Amino acid sequence: MSVDEAAGEIRRLVPDVETLAQRLAGVDYLVDEGLATSMFLSLRLPQPLLLEGEAGVGKTEAAKSLAGVLETPLVRLQCYEGIDAAEALYEWNYPRQLLAIRLAESSGSSLAEEELFGSEYLIRRPLLRALEHPGPRPAVLLVDEIDRADDDFEAFLLELLAEAAVTIPELGTIRATHPPIIVLTSNRTRDLHDAVKRRCLYHWIPYPTPEREVEIIRRRVRGASETLAVQVADAVSRMRDSDVQKPPGIAEAIDWLAALELLGVESLDAGTVDRTLGSVLKYEEDQEVIRAAGLDELVRSE
Amino acid sequence: MSQPFRVETIELDLPPFVGALSRRLYDAGLPVTPARSADFARALDLVRPVSRRRLYWTARSLFVTDPSQLKAFDRVFFEVFGSQSDDEPLEPESTEHGPATRDLPPATQPGELSHGAPSMASAPGDSDDQAQEAEVPRLLASGEERLATKSFDALDARELAQLYRLMARLELATPVRRTRRHVKSRHGSHIDMRRTLRGSLRSGGDPVHLRHRRRRIARRRLVMLCDISGSMEPYARAYLQFLTSAVGSGPNAEVFVFATRLTRLTRALSSRNPERAIQRAAHTAPDWSSGTRIGDALKEFNDRHGRRGMARGAVIVILSDGWERGDPALVAREMERLSRLAHKIIWVNPRVAANSFSPRAGGMNAALPYLDAFVSGHSFEALQEVVDAIAGTADRRPPTAELEPEEDWGSAIPVGGSSVAMPSGYGPSRGNTTAGWVTDDE
Repeated sequence: MSVDEAAGEIRRLVPDVETLAQRLAGVDYLVDEGLATSMFLSLRLPQPLLLEGEAGVGKTEAAKSLAGVLETPLVRLQCYEGIDAAEALYEWNYPRQLLAIRLAESSGSSLAEEELFGSEYLIRRPLLRALEHPGPRPAVLLVDEIDRADDDFEAFLLELLAEAAVTIPELGTIRATHPPIIVLTSNRTRDLHDAVKRRCLYHWIPYPTPEREVEIIRRRVRGASETLAVQVADAVSRMRDSDVQKPPGIAEAIDWLAALELLGVESLDAGTVDRTLGSVLKYEEDQEVIRAAGLDELVRSE
Repeated sequence: MSQPFRVETIELDLPPFVGALSRRLYDAGLPVTPARSADFARALDLVRPVSRRRLYWTARSLFVTDPSQLKAFDRVFFEVFGSQSDDEPLEPESTEHGPATRDLPPATQPGELSHGAPSMASAPGDSDDQAQEAEVPRLLASGEERLATKSFDALDARELAQLYRLMARLELATPVRRTRRHVKSRHGSHIDMRRTLRGSLRSGGDPVHLRHRRRRIARRRLVMLCDISGSMEPYARAYLQFLTSAVGSGPNAEVFVFATRLTRLTRALSSRNPERAIQRAAHTAPDWSSGTRIGDALKEFNDRHGRRGMARGAVIVILSDGWERGDPALVAREMERLSRLAHKIIWVNPRVAANSFSPRAGGMNAALPYLDAFVSGHSFEALQEVVDAIAGTADRRPPTAELEPEEDWGSAIPVGGSSVAMPSGYGPSRGNTTAGWVTDDE
C-alpha cells in the first residue's frame, strides 16, 4: 500500500476534529477541543506533535490512545541522559555474528560478508522499528521525555524524522514506506531547541476541569461511585491549588480512587483521607502542607 | 455552533488573512516563520469549517511553542477576533499557564467577527503599536549599574523587584570533583576493556579500536545557610532572592534559613515562579526577625543533615552578620565540625561593608578560624564576589602577610566590598583540627 493510500486511510478514519475526539473517547481518552485540534492537525498535516504539561496530565497516554484509534502499533522511545544512536536506532548483533563465523569455520562452510551483515543480525531499536513498520497505517512513534536526552540527540532525531530514512553503511538506505506519526513529550526540565519546536505542533496539556476529571477517573476505575469520584476530583483540584510542590496528576487521582474503592470507602472524610494520602501525595513535605491546611477543609463540600 | 463562522470570508481572503495574523504574531514576539504560516494555511484548510474557537486552537497549535508565549498570542488573537464570549469558553483550563484574557477590552459583537480579517489585512500600520506594547519594559543599563552598587538595606520595594532580574543572571557554579564512576570518552586515560572487547567482536576478536573512558566529573554540592534574624532583616529579602537563584542553579543546591531554629527551604524555593517561591519560603520559616542562635542552628544542621552526607565535600555558604545570642563556644565547636566535612566554607557578612563596622560579634569571632573566604556581599556587585568564592576563583590568593597564627580578628577585617582569603583548612590542611590561623597554605 502506498503512502497516498495510507493517507487516504487516515483521512477515512479521522475526517474531522469531532470524529477524532469521539474515537479517542472510544478508547477512554477524553480530550478537550484544543488537544483534539492539535492531534488532528498532527495526523493530517502531518507534523510531529510536541506535548508539554505537568507530570501526570496524560501526555504519554495521548500517544497510546492515538495508536489505539488508528489500530496501529505504538513504538516508544524512552529518552534518558546519554542515549545514543546504538540505543535508539540500531546495532549489529556482534555475538551472533561471531557465533556464525565460528560455526562456519567448524563446519567448513563458507560465509559471505553480505550474509553476516544481513538483516537477521541487525538489532532494531525503536526508531528503526517505527521507520520499518509495513503499514497499512503508519506506526505511532512516542518519543517520551525528550528533555532528558542530550541536545545533540535532539538534532539527530529531527534529521532522521524529517528524512524518514536512515542509512546503515552495510545495508544501504532504509526508507520508511509509512513515515511514523510522531508524538514527543517533555516535562520542561530544560528548554528544547528552537529548531525542534519549529518543526512541531505544540500543545500544553492543562489539568482537566473537575467535571472532566470525574469522567476520566470513572472511566479508569470501573465501578467507582459517582459521589466518591466527585469528592476525589474536588479534593485533588484543591491540592493543586494549594502550595504543594508536586501537585497530583490525573494518574494520582486514579490511583487514589482505586485505593479508596479497594478499601470499600463510600464517602470521603478526613479519616479516610488521612489513611490514603500516600497514594495521592508522594512527598512527606506535601502531605504536611495538606495536613496543616486541614483535612476537613479538603473534603468540605461546597 | 452558535457562532457564525463566515467560512466564505476566510476562504476568500485566506492568503492576506494568514499573512496578516502571522505578521501580528511575529510583531508580538512569537517565533513565526514563513514555513509556519504556510502550514497554518494548510491547517485551516483541513479543519474547516472554521469556527472562531477552532481557529484559536489551530493558530495556537502552530504558532505557540512555549507557555510563556500564550499571553502575547491571546492578546493578538482576541484583539483581532474580539474577546471571548461567555457561551464559548475558549480556555476552560487553569489560569496559571493560560491566557490573561480578563483584562482585554469588552467583547466585540459576534457579528463584527467577519470584519476582523479584511480590516486587519488592510491596516498593517496597526502592527507597529502592537510591537511596542509587546516589548517588555527593560531596565536601563545605567539604572542597573546604580542598582548593582546600592546596598541591599537601602533598596525600596520597586528596586528589590528589579534586583531579581539581575540576580537571575548570576551563574552559580561550584568547583568540580571527580567521581568514582566512569563515562565513555574519546580520549581518556583509561582503556575501557569492556567496550574494547565488545568492539573487537566486530573485527573477529581482534581489538582494533581501543575505547577509552574517563572519570565522570560532577559539580560539588552547594549548601547555603542564611540568617533571617532581626539584625539581618534589611538584607533578608534580597538574600532570599539570591537563595532562590541558587536553588534554580542546579539540582545540587540546598538552602536553609535560621534564626532561632533551622528550616530547610530547598523545596519551598524550587519553583518556576520566584515570587511564589519567596512567599512560600516566608510561610515555611516561622522565626523571621527573631533572635539568632547560630550555634544551635549549625549544630542542628550538622546533626540532621551535614553528617548524613549533605555537607561532605560541599561548598558551604553562610550568610549572617554573626550576632549570636547563644554561646560563641558552641559556634566554634560546630564550625569546626562543619569544616571537617565541607570542601570549603564561605561566610557572607553584609555588615562588613559599613565603614563604622567594628566586629565584636562573638559568633563571628568564633567562626573566623574555620573560614576559607570571608566576603561582604552587601550589594549586587558584592554578590559577584560570593559567586567567585563559590566557584573557587577568589580564594587562592595568598594570605595577607601580616596575619600571624594567633592574630586577633580585628586585623582581619576585610576592606569593604572585597574578599579575603582565609588560609586555614584549605587544601591539604583540611581536616586539621587545630583551631586558628595557618599561614602556610600547603
